[in-house]
Amino acid sequence: MKAEDFLEKNEVREMTILSQLISHHGSISYNDMLDHLSVSKASLENDLESIKSWTATSNQCIAIHYDGQTINLKLGDEMSLLQIYRRYLDQSVKTKIITFLFKYQKFTITQLAQKLAISESSLFRKIKELNNYLKEFNIKIRNGRFDGEELQIRYFYFQFYYYIEDKRKLLSQFTSNQLTQTIQSLENYLKVTISSENKQKLRIWLIISKMRITIKKLQTDYLRNQMQPYLKDPLYHKIQVMVFRYFSRYSIEVDEGEAMLHFAYLLAFSILSENDFHEYRLLRDRHAPIASLDTYIAETIIIHFNYRRLPYMLEREMYYHLTHMHTLLYFFRGDIEYYDETVFIQEKQPVGKTLNPFAEKLLETSTWKFDNQMERQKSLLTILLSKYLSLLVFITSKMTKVLQVGIDLKLDDLYKETLSELLISKIRPLNGVHSERYVSHKKYDLILTNETQHDSDQYNEARVYVLSKILSSYDMRNIQRILQELNT
Amino acid sequence: MKVVIIGASFAGVAAALETRKRHPKAKIVLLEKQTTLAYIPNGLHLYWRNEIADLNEARFITEEQLEESRIDYYLEANVKKINTSQKIITYHYFGKYEMIAYDKLIIAAGSKQLSEKIKGSAQESVLKYKRYEEAEAALLKVKASERITIIGGGQVGIEAADLLSTQKKKVTMIESMDYIMFKYLDEDMIQPIQRKMIDRGIDLKLGKTVSTIDAVSDHEVNVHFADDSVTSESVIMSVNVRPHLPFLDTHIAQHTDQTIAVDRYLRTSIKDVFAVGDCIQLSGPDNDQVYIPLINNAVRTGIVAAANLNEPELEFKGSLRTIGTNVFGYYVASTGMTEGESLFSNHKVKTTRQKIKLTSLQNANTVTVKWIYDAETHVLLGAQMISTVNILEKINTLALAIETRQTIEDLQQKDYFFHPSYTQMIATTNLVSWMGERVDGDEG
Repeated sequence: MKAEDFLEKNEVREMTILSQLISHHGSISYNDMLDHLSVSKASLENDLESIKSWTATSNQCIAIHYDGQTINLKLGDEMSLLQIYRRYLDQSVKTKIITFLFKYQKFTITQLAQKLAISESSLFRKIKELNNYLKEFNIKIRNGRFDGEELQIRYFYFQFYYYIEDKRKLLSQFTSNQLTQTIQSLENYLKVTISSENKQKLRIWLIISKMRITIKKLQTDYLRNQMQPYLKDPLYHKIQVMVFRYFSRYSIEVDEGEAMLHFAYLLAFSILSENDFHEYRLLRDRHAPIASLDTYIAETIIIHFNYRRLPYMLEREMYYHLTHMHTLLYFFRGDIEYYDETVFIQEKQPVGKTLNPFAEKLLETSTWKFDNQMERQKSLLTILLSKYLSLLVFITSKMTKVLQVGIDLKLDDLYKETLSELLISKIRPLNGVHSERYVSHKKYDLILTNETQHDSDQYNEARVYVLSKILSSYDMRNIQRILQELNT
Repeated sequence: MKVVIIGASFAGVAAALETRKRHPKAKIVLLEKQTTLAYIPNGLHLYWRNEIADLNEARFITEEQLEESRIDYYLEANVKKINTSQKIITYHYFGKYEMIAYDKLIIAAGSKQLSEKIKGSAQESVLKYKRYEEAEAALLKVKASERITIIGGGQVGIEAADLLSTQKKKVTMIESMDYIMFKYLDEDMIQPIQRKMIDRGIDLKLGKTVSTIDAVSDHEVNVHFADDSVTSESVIMSVNVRPHLPFLDTHIAQHTDQTIAVDRYLRTSIKDVFAVGDCIQLSGPDNDQVYIPLINNAVRTGIVAAANLNEPELEFKGSLRTIGTNVFGYYVASTGMTEGESLFSNHKVKTTRQKIKLTSLQNANTVTVKWIYDAETHVLLGAQMISTVNILEKINTLALAIETRQTIEDLQQKDYFFHPSYTQMIATTNLVSWMGERVDGDEG
């Protein structure tokens, strides 16, 4: 599901209006906005009215003005689009339903409708909408409580508190010495060091677990099934011992299921540092599903790029990331897509663009290996695809030697200067490429020129590309292709 | 003043007696769900040990003693509801609902052996015998059984395994952790007992968690764990106990683990309502709040609550989880923090394990002692003992040392008597490395 699924249609539109205004330097004409939203002027007016009414109370952090011709937005220096987004999510009824459910574990329609000050029928409708989105997580709200695999319920809450609801609120409400001590104990038990950022993730997870622990019937059938190859896993064993010992100190009954939940979480959400993970990787069973998929994918990557082998530390890092991704795919269902900052890799970066088909192939391979049902998994797969892609970008950029490109244009001096600079700025976003105006006798990998050369030795061994039309997209595509070839 | 106490086991009776001592004029009423008064939990073990001839003898106080103290008690009085706003308790008593008002209320309802995770654990053929009626039924069932499966290798489970294997029963013991009695002893200390258990033919299944129990016939039950199962005529549940408090009203605050939240005077979140015994968490060996359902804690909390009925006078000092028992020919005792548990604390601990002669004589018996102490300050945090002779009382000395925050060095200076037939140069409870045979450790 998407973060905006928590919002109503009009709220999504309002968010879009604000986001458009920010992308257009705070000012946009009615016509452009209407085109972008494809709505009537009356409904745009409604939306603006609604924005105005809540921004009026925002202590001038945000102010909107419109006059039928232009819309203007003013943001305070400390206001970001993310904060605005958060404000919308905070107000959303669906968000409130989930937070209520989290706090009390169950509700009756009458009680919750009263609490949210909405009618029972509209509450029903909201729950139905929510359930529709929750399908990909394989869970649903039924009889006033969550129904489904416990791992999925906690995972959904985790995503929810990490991306949707303000996690600071949750942390300040529930963080206790006991929680800090528990994380410290975990570090002691596993003999690992957890970074402060990961401790925050872990805190959220443990708070969720604490809220869920006393629920009598936790479903863990799927998890237990998936855990079969991991019952003798050294990390799992340690977690199991710790879980049993920890809960023996309270009047709480737990079984292996609880330990399994934490095992899956710790591995999928990269709680361990690369170093600590490496220690575990040396001990784990290499034939278990996740490890063997890691190896398969790692080899596919190495072969694809014709690398003989990766530097030791880079290989370790690759395995580190692969295990997280594959653990996610192996145990978990669904995801909340939030503010996709990885989009830039896919769309804007030329390197990303060329690697995309390969990332897709990797994803196809891993889903096939785990026999995953693609269609139920859309969001998780989208996230995994972008993870594969960033991993590929990461590896290729680490492995790329910097290619030297010399630009040797035969033109009038003024044009030559200008066009060379423009060409350099076009090539700059490409990873691992350094371009400059040609300096004679310097060694280059690629020469870009606009005239066919007569002296074949002029550029030594450099490959030469003659531009068909300076700055044309046709040439840019060819240059990218050649650079890729030079790199492999 | 009218003091109503829910539960007439150790905590409730202790609270009643202490209340009488402090408030000679108070009206004291005990409401007990069971049919019998003051039954010693797991009294069945005393019977199997031939220490009592009849289960009925397993009592820690008699009706007469209560009557002498002018304490009213109602047996088979099942409390259904507490109304803390009106200070009224509703209970079910011989087919009728009765109400009783109180000025002060002490909740001493104890705990139950129940599992919500093990499917089928509620069925009749699965024996629990903490209470008298349960014990009566269990006694007959066990007599008729040849093979018995015990779920849970804590103190109660191991005692049962010992007694039943003496009766030539074929015993299987299933424990979730990698070793038995893990709450009290470290893995290095428990080895002799585990070896003895195997020698005695006990099928020890460690690191296994029971998932399901199902009856295969009128006489046989299957217990499933991981990818294995075991068949026997009887199954004994000796898993952790938990409070069972369906009658609480929503005003009384509870912890996540369903225990009642109390302050150090054992007051609940509601005025004039106290909670004691197995219903509450205590401050444990590391001064953190933990659940330690032991009889010594029940008695002590009962006394403390009674002392605080009118004014907060007496703080509860906490529990070191001191235990002692005799199983499979070994006397074992423990107090304070274990090395395994120390990972949950802020202390960096050091440990030393020594085998020490108990007397100055040539053929003296030995005891293996393990000390757990703070690496920096050397303050004693925990101790464990195992011996083939009765050293149980010695653990109390170490418990007192921990409570009074003695260091290892302090202990060496303590004034103990010497007699060659009964002691050696240095008291066994002292860690002096030149007297003992160092078995293991990292003393520094």
